Amino acid sequence: MEGSGKDKRKERKEPKQRMAQLEQMNEALEAALKAAEAANQAKSIFLSNMSHDIRTPMNAIMGMASIGLAHIDEKARVQDCLQKIQTASAHLMSLVNDVLDMSRIDSGRLSLNEEVFSLADLVHDIAVIVRPQAEQKSQELQIDIGCIREEYLMGDPLRLRQIMVNIIGNAVKYTLDEGKILVWFDQRPLEETGAFGQESDRVWLDFICEDNGVGMSQEFLERIFVPFERVNNSTISKIEGTGLGMAIVKNLVERMGGQIHVESQEGEGSKFHVELPISIAKKGKRERNLPLGQSVLVVESNKDRASQVIAYLKAGGLVPVHVESGLKAVTWLTEEQYEGHMPCGMLLGQELADMPVLELAGHVRQLAGSGFPILLVSEEDWAKIEYPAARAGINAFVPCPLFKSRLLETLSDLVNGDGEAENTGEASNMDYSGRHVLLVEDNELNQEIALEMLSVTGVQVEVAENGAQALEQFEKSPIGYFDVIFMDIQMPIMNGYEASKAIRGLSRADAESVWIVAMTANAFVEDIRLSREAGMNDHCSKPVDPKRLQEILRSRLG
Amino acid sequence: MQPYQEEYIKNLKELFTLTGGRNIGCRTYEEFLRDLSDSRVQAVEMVKRNMQLLRDGLFPILDHMFEAEEEELKGLEEFAGCLLDTNEELDVGLFCQIHRALLSLARQTKDRNGMIRELYWLGIGYYHWCNKLIGLKPEESEAYTTQMRLCFTEAAAYLKYFDEIEDAETRGYILRSRANMALGNFKVPGEKIRMVKRSLEIIQDAEYQKIEPSLPWERYVYMIHQQMASSISYTKEESMTPQDVADIMDSVYIVYERQLQEAAEKKTRPSIRVQFSYYAIEYYCGLDTLNGLLTKMERLMDQTDPEDFSWDNMYGMISLPAFYSQFLEQYPEKMPERTEYLESIYRKVLDYLGSFPREAEKEMMFFYLRQLSCTFLETEQGTSYKEFLMKLQMRFAPVIYVHSWVVGKAAVEFCRIIMEEEPDFFDDIDHIRGLSQREEKEKAVLVYAMECGMLHDTGKMDFVNLYAKTVRQWFEEEYELAHLHTISGEAYLAARSSTADYAAVALGHHLWYDGSLGYPKTYHRLECQYRQMVDVIGLVDWLDNVTNANFFHTGVEKNFKEAVGEAIDLEGRRFSPLLTARLREKKVAERLEKAFVEGRREAYRRLYDERASV
Repeated sequence: MEGSGKDKRKERKEPKQRMAQLEQMNEALEAALKAAEAANQAKSIFLSNMSHDIRTPMNAIMGMASIGLAHIDEKARVQDCLQKIQTASAHLMSLVNDVLDMSRIDSGRLSLNEEVFSLADLVHDIAVIVRPQAEQKSQELQIDIGCIREEYLMGDPLRLRQIMVNIIGNAVKYTLDEGKILVWFDQRPLEETGAFGQESDRVWLDFICEDNGVGMSQEFLERIFVPFERVNNSTISKIEGTGLGMAIVKNLVERMGGQIHVESQEGEGSKFHVELPISIAKKGKRERNLPLGQSVLVVESNKDRASQVIAYLKAGGLVPVHVESGLKAVTWLTEEQYEGHMPCGMLLGQELADMPVLELAGHVRQLAGSGFPILLVSEEDWAKIEYPAARAGINAFVPCPLFKSRLLETLSDLVNGDGEAENTGEASNMDYSGRHVLLVEDNELNQEIALEMLSVTGVQVEVAENGAQALEQFEKSPIGYFDVIFMDIQMPIMNGYEASKAIRGLSRADAESVWIVAMTANAFVEDIRLSREAGMNDHCSKPVDPKRLQEILRSRLG
Repeated sequence: MQPYQEEYIKNLKELFTLTGGRNIGCRTYEEFLRDLSDSRVQAVEMVKRNMQLLRDGLFPILDHMFEAEEEELKGLEEFAGCLLDTNEELDVGLFCQIHRALLSLARQTKDRNGMIRELYWLGIGYYHWCNKLIGLKPEESEAYTTQMRLCFTEAAAYLKYFDEIEDAETRGYILRSRANMALGNFKVPGEKIRMVKRSLEIIQDAEYQKIEPSLPWERYVYMIHQQMASSISYTKEESMTPQDVADIMDSVYIVYERQLQEAAEKKTRPSIRVQFSYYAIEYYCGLDTLNGLLTKMERLMDQTDPEDFSWDNMYGMISLPAFYSQFLEQYPEKMPERTEYLESIYRKVLDYLGSFPREAEKEMMFFYLRQLSCTFLETEQGTSYKEFLMKLQMRFAPVIYVHSWVVGKAAVEFCRIIMEEEPDFFDDIDHIRGLSQREEKEKAVLVYAMECGMLHDTGKMDFVNLYAKTVRQWFEEEYELAHLHTISGEAYLAARSSTADYAAVALGHHLWYDGSLGYPKTYHRLECQYRQMVDVIGLVDWLDNVTNANFFHTGVEKNFKEAVGEAIDLEGRRFSPLLTARLREKKVAERLEKAFVEGRREAYRRLYDERASV
């Protein structure tokens, strides 16, 4: 039986459809083949690049190791070689990490954490990582924040840091020496449907990184997030990398539900904008105990930063008094001290028009006494300036970009926060209760003064009247009991040098390690050397300066 | 004053004569050498004695300051006053040490008047240190200027309570501190003028004068006008606003008129300094041209008397040529027509310095010399800066001269030893590498080594009092101050073509080979083409310091064998292993030791000949 006309038409049509389908399939297969070939080619290029990239730092490591061995007696030369080996190893490690990350992403094994983190900590960590890179190229790296309403957030801080460091790191790499990089963090509300009138529990976190570097061609912009692609630019031909960084960044941003946009002009620079929806953490905020209504002196020449500090202090219930110069600060503090209403602390900006900040801090420490809180607000890496800053009498450091929580929490830690105690500027900012100091001093009045200075720190002080007593007390004490020994030199029965030598000569575990500080008016360099030869670690001139005493305690117990 | 204080000061004055060397008179060289040797023994004894005096007399008081009697504290003030007055700078370090202790006591006991007084005097002590640092970049001397200004500012802050402080002396300190806030350099020169102007307003305020009529208000006003007039020296032409010029002009006219009047009464001329201020302000406000000013300056310099060693004549003889050079450097188009005059004035300065009597060698003269050293201009036919520096060293700092000569001689011997084995050892240095003949290269290296030795301590000329006139070991802060001689030496040498090749040696000779210790950190060994010579000078300088030159101040003294042993122990850390490896050879150490001994003898011979020729 013949089929219906409809069937016949269908039969006539089928070959055409099949043909079309086959053609489509062929096209798809061809595209897939091309894609596979392209991917294969990219992977081949990647492998070729990688072998070059791996070989380059490996060559450096091997070469430098040989040079170092050949000049083993020249310490400076060996040091230089080791530093280069360190740099090359770090580079090698980052290459391997990138490859591993990409592999995890490809295989779907990459998971994101969800934990409470502080945006202030995140930004600070990022700054610490990228600043030295920019400094090496004498670039101006400016990291600023906008209006940050929520500082405690939920997310994966490690991966967030990876995204941001990668983008800023690229900006540093692809910007010439003395170029400019601007990094900006901001927040804005995230419109979400929720209960009527209820505030969203998420915000948009905006991260922008803009540079005036070499930029990218339009052609490359289209491939920037494709794995294994790198800018090919003769100006910066020495730049190495896997070409995986941006692919990883895009993947991570998308996994977090965000977006990444890039604008770039060849020769003019690039701008990356990352938008991420982030949950607000319910917990995490620390309790603050600030002396509400009390004044705080702000010494800052930079008007923008001063207004930011002032706004934060006001928000914390404090009364900021702003001066722009060191000389005005000293004049104002002298007047306030004379009138008996010292502020509850002083915030120092990182640069003053009329003097180095550390000189001002040192003088104010003398003027205001050991208990007066002095904070430094600075873009500098604290690790680099900690020693001179502590020597100058600075109690605490607040890094820039400045976050309100950081500023107020640090201030709260330093000042007496009950708001009722009479503020004489002598409030204790150090708490060394539980730590033990042995004060060896034959003169009663000197004992009394030193005890008073030490008492504000909370440290437990025991007194010996001469070297022999000190030795006896130390011998009787449990191992590790005394953290610091302040030792007068001229004493009856046994002087300070003899006592120190005797303590060092004891056969107990802490005899060599206990910190001994000479306290004497003998200030010749020879005296300092003699005290060191007797086994003392430090020297403190008499009459004892509270700033110096505080500095010693901070360095040992802080 | 207590007997120990009087003895300390007597020793200070006596040592100045001993270390400077006496006039030759009719002594033979052998007698001169014997006297030098005796003087050295005496000086060593004196240093020991002075330290003992401080240990027994002063330090126990500082140790128990809270129990000290009022009389003892007053005695300390008096003692400090003798260590530093307007005419003589005997011991600024001890002056600061005492006032710092007194300030600390005043702060502890909340003695307001004491605090104000001590802040003032401590500020004055710092001011004297700042004056030694004029050859440094502002950022390098800023810490000292700031410390000075902070002391004066804190004392001046009590101006607000002027009526409450019922003590004329303390009120005087407050006003003087206020005026002294303008001392030293400012980042913005106009700031200095505004500061002086504000002081003037305060001092002229009738309300203050009514509260304490017993103070010498008229003198204060005049002194501030003088301060304003001298602001011209500190102020760069382009950074002065019309208002600044007008303010200075007012003060200059007041001072000039008064001096004119006083001079007429005495039938003399106003001081050279005031005349220069007057001419300069005429130029700054457009009443005269630069040519007019330079011609008037020449006239003033021509008026100076080569046998007059008063402050004002000294100013005209040394300081005015410094300002003259500064103008020519700023306007090089004026140079061709004035080169001949400039050369003649430098010769005149050197002749003047050559005949300078020992008793007139005060800190002010060194200050003027520093000014000239900062602005010295080299010309093709004229005195080179290198020659100028060497003459200054020989004339005014014989101790530094002898050490430099010895270091030069020892460096020459060490370089000779090195080049016997490795003729290309110094080839990193451009001007050495270019020489192909071995003898020619060796000769060039040896000449260079000698001159490096002679100039490596150029910066010490800024601290002559510290190095040559301190009759005790240094305090820690003096040690730190002395470190600046490397930076200032580099700054002086790098700025002139005849000395630029020695700048790295001046900068780097105290930094350890591995960079871990020493100073300054601005010397980067691996980037410096002169590094091998810096290493050589660093080693021989240290050997001479610990065996001979520096133990007065640091208390470290070793014999040559001990020093060599320690240098070898510090191999690869403080000293280049390429050098210490050679020191291990007995013969090398012996040759070096001989070079030190002979070098010292030669240096004394040259000193003798120079003095005999005067």
